Amino acid sequence: MADFIQTTFDGISIGSAYALIALGFTLIFGVMRRINLSYGPSIMLGAFAGTWIFVTLGAQPWQVAAVTIVGTVLVGMYVERLCFWAIRRDAAVASMVSSFVIWMQLEEVATILLPGRTYPFPELFSAGGFEAGPYFFRMEHVATLAVVAIVLVLLRLLLFRTRFGLALRAVSEDPAAAAYMGIRPNQVTFRAFVLASLIGGVAGYLLLASDQQVTPYFGLWATFKGLIAMMLGGMGSFRGAVVGGLLLGVIEAQTQWYLGNAFKDLGAYLVLFLVLVLRPGGLLGQGIVERDAQAFRRI
Amino acid sequence: MLEVRDLVTAYGAIEALKGVTLSASQGEITCILGPNGAGKTTLMYSIACILKPVSGSVTVDGTEITGTSAPHALGHGIALVPENRLVFHSMSVEENLVAGAYRRLSTDRRGVREDIENAFVRFPALKERREQMAGTLSGGEQQMLAVARAMMSRPRILMMDEPSLGLAPLVVAEIFSIIRQLNDDGVTIVLVEQNAHMALQIAHRFCLLDQGRVAFSGAPGEIGEDDVIQRAYLGSRAA
Repeated sequence: MADFIQTTFDGISIGSAYALIALGFTLIFGVMRRINLSYGPSIMLGAFAGTWIFVTLGAQPWQVAAVTIVGTVLVGMYVERLCFWAIRRDAAVASMVSSFVIWMQLEEVATILLPGRTYPFPELFSAGGFEAGPYFFRMEHVATLAVVAIVLVLLRLLLFRTRFGLALRAVSEDPAAAAYMGIRPNQVTFRAFVLASLIGGVAGYLLLASDQQVTPYFGLWATFKGLIAMMLGGMGSFRGAVVGGLLLGVIEAQTQWYLGNAFKDLGAYLVLFLVLVLRPGGLLGQGIVERDAQAFRRI
Repeated sequence: MLEVRDLVTAYGAIEALKGVTLSASQGEITCILGPNGAGKTTLMYSIACILKPVSGSVTVDGTEITGTSAPHALGHGIALVPENRLVFHSMSVEENLVAGAYRRLSTDRRGVREDIENAFVRFPALKERREQMAGTLSGGEQQMLAVARAMMSRPRILMMDEPSLGLAPLVVAEIFSIIRQLNDDGVTIVLVEQNAHMALQIAHRFCLLDQGRVAFSGAPGEIGEDDVIQRAYLGSRAA
């Protein structure tokens, strides 16, 4: 039992970072109904910029964090202009394909910047952690959870208490109706992209500081984790993204602990399979799928 | 007040409006009738600057707004209640109203608050449901919300696209009495309607649109209602 609780806590910690990545996907999918495949690679390139100043200039952890986050935002803006802003809303597949092409480009840029395979990433705390009863809490797990909790609270305030949040939700629901209210969907979409990149940068930094290393494959990995978490929780649902991320983290941690490392991904895919068979819209995401279907019938 | 001159709007190579000229006077209800595909909705969208016309002009009180942007048209007092209402289903009734006031949200929060309370006075049915998600409202309530939401931008010209669509006769009567009330309060109304009989009862002026052209414009009573209805539903070829 103690093992189970300990593993659950570890899973929640990494799952909370997955939740942020899933939220980034959800924000972009929400305003555009398009999936940005190069979201993970954008985070990877931001992280490479971070590790580059660490390796070459010996930067402090907080400087690496700042460069990682700002770098991710800049790359995100680049992706938005190239794959989404330039391609019309109704050409969703073209956007997705071009975001895949940009993915390749971002990986190339990363390997040109730092040609090796693996680079060190500075850890958040050198202090290991603390014990409480039979449990051991790693410092970076606690920090990750705390940062994610703060980001979630801020994001909630932003979405439900500000003018920008109102515009973002309006565009997510119906870009045409939002435009009649004087909201500019393109402007909102761009800002949503910046916001998603900001969140992705934070998540990427937390995950990599915990791993203490970064490879160009981090992009692929982050896109996978984010998409799986989003599908688990439900496409387009903010709450679903959080639930999906936490669930994915816990499933991975439990299968790894009880069945071994080889089964870690298998367990996650199995649960995703079951969710998609039993609730195709995801655990909390039925709404958006139905609404789009309704809108489609209306036309 | 609203002047439309020789307006041509096209979807690709197909001209939906082939030179439409009409005007809506201050404080009046102007009704646009016509069969399906006549270009009524296109005309609305062109006036609200959601579609960019190929040529022609739209002026409000002498100010040219042709081909600018929807926020710009809103700034000149033109609001649109779209066909099918398009309320934000997953937002509460109150949030829908706030969204309607989006353009002045950053400068006039107090005014927005007051207008929301005023909207609830005008639409008591919405007040009871202010916290409720708009998607759970009935069709008639959603139409009221769509009207209330458009009014939140304090428009001088309110354009409505088929407000009676899919509503029960009693509800339609209620919607029309609301339109008349708004007009009594000084709002200029441009109304696109399929229900020609109801529309002609409240319109001060109307125009018949057919295949992208104005087939007739004048006051109700200038030609017989049967004639109007025939042309509105079947087009001029049938007349």
